[in-house]
Amino acid sequence: MATIEWPEELLEIIDDFAAAFDSSERYEMLFELADDVDELPLSEWTSSTKVHGCQSEAHVLACLNVDGSFHLKGAADSKLVQGLISITATALEGLSLTEVAIFPPTYVEEMGLKDALSPSRANGFLNMFKKVQHEAALLGD
Amino acid sequence: MAWSIDDWPAPIALSVEEARKDFPILQRIVGDGKKLIYLDNAATTQKPQQVIDAMSDYYCNTNSNVHRAAHTLASEATIAYEESRLKLKHWFGATQSRLVFTSGTTEAINLAAHSWARTNLVKGDAIVLTEMEHHADIVPWQMLAKEKGVELRWTPFDLETFELDMEAFAIAVKGAKLVACVHTSNVLGVRNPIEEIIRLTHEAGAKLILDAAQAAPHDRLNFEGLGVDMLAISAHKMGGPTGIGALLINESTFQQMEPFMGGGDMIREVYLDYSTYQENEHMLEAGTPKIAEAIGWGAAIDWMAQWDIESVHQHGLYLAQKTVAGLRKISGMRIFGRHAKGDGAVVSFLHDTLHANDLAAFLDARGFAIRTGHHCAQPLLRKFNIAATNRVSYWLYNTEHEVDEFIAATTEVCKKFA
Repeated sequence: MATIEWPEELLEIIDDFAAAFDSSERYEMLFELADDVDELPLSEWTSSTKVHGCQSEAHVLACLNVDGSFHLKGAADSKLVQGLISITATALEGLSLTEVAIFPPTYVEEMGLKDALSPSRANGFLNMFKKVQHEAALLGD
Repeated sequence: MAWSIDDWPAPIALSVEEARKDFPILQRIVGDGKKLIYLDNAATTQKPQQVIDAMSDYYCNTNSNVHRAAHTLASEATIAYEESRLKLKHWFGATQSRLVFTSGTTEAINLAAHSWARTNLVKGDAIVLTEMEHHADIVPWQMLAKEKGVELRWTPFDLETFELDMEAFAIAVKGAKLVACVHTSNVLGVRNPIEEIIRLTHEAGAKLILDAAQAAPHDRLNFEGLGVDMLAISAHKMGGPTGIGALLINESTFQQMEPFMGGGDMIREVYLDYSTYQENEHMLEAGTPKIAEAIGWGAAIDWMAQWDIESVHQHGLYLAQKTVAGLRKISGMRIFGRHAKGDGAVVSFLHDTLHANDLAAFLDARGFAIRTGHHCAQPLLRKFNIAATNRVSYWLYNTEHEVDEFIAATTEVCKKFA
């Protein structure tokens, strides 16, 4: 499989996670990254922002920066889930909508998180990622 | 030689150390090299080597379909399958009653709904349930209510004492035809006042089905002694394999039941225009039964029979009470349940600020297998205005040291992340 060229900020996160001692440390890093997301306030959580198929209450809102590039807001009641949203926001920040549409979700595997995520949590991540791509596509319509 | 109850040794007090030796999985290393501490026994228990061996031996040496065939393997398989039924009847004090093998507690309750309630209830009849029920003891009755126009009456429980409102129950049961009640809550661990529920149910002329899935691992139940009409259990919560459970039925109730599924083992004769059915338990066991699973369950009962069941109960309750004492020292921790004598070894808890999924993930990374979610009891959790709890649940192989380690890890995680 060809190596994917990740955006620089995402690559730094991937490297940090890959160097972590164990899954405890990776969860700890994920927990801390939760605070970095452009947090979607509770008052803006609606049925249209909700990520379905996720064990926790997770919400995402696709937006555009002033230059027309992609920006993601998000939040979850679980900080680990919000950490995953935060990393996704970093991964996609400033990309064009076309780039968002073809962006692979495999960075979680490279971070060593997929093994640590139970199948239901992993499904939740993919549901979140697909919703972000879907919402991004709607912005371009 | 056929099995007899004399084959069971006189039970001795539980030795956790000895019991653990029979469970190879308890030596497992998980994740990044952490020793497994398995605290999810209310979801399913681990299986002793004797159960694994019995099922393996069956497939290696005896595998055959049961009943009807005239060859050695079929005869041996039939004897082993029916012996397991007999062992279970003895274990649960149901030798004069019927024991129908099902896929588990859920199918057992569905069987009661289809084979007894659907035949015997009519529009306007009432079924009494409690707000403590597992979804398996709610949804089949909702489906029946919709189909037949039957009324469902709900018995509430107290949010402080975690006990059923028996005054409300006594009112609800008047004029009802059936009571469906959980023996021991899978979320709260509370053992309901079964004897009083039975008395009030029968005084009202109703029948009672008990969901005893969480009681069976630490209580022999004594079906006929209690005077229950139907009782649903699962093998896998008491050391047996998944995929099998049973509905125990007293004779008068059994005589009122109609077949649920048709075909296979349940028929006597089939003609093009009609069929006749078996008159014993086989009437309700359509298709090839769960032969290996029944044999495995029988081996689990044999294994359980070596331990004094009261000592098993006391051990689980002690671990639960120790857990509660430890969790109470963590600031912001809420505990659900009273953990009194008779209750199951289940402790549900929830931290005010650390999400249940996050706590479970941090503990999983440290080797602890605990449960998180609604535990298939959403109406119960909704009463507390919560969507999920964390839950630890013990069985006879869990140690005091494991509880200490769990409390230490939970305290550390909460201090760091809450």
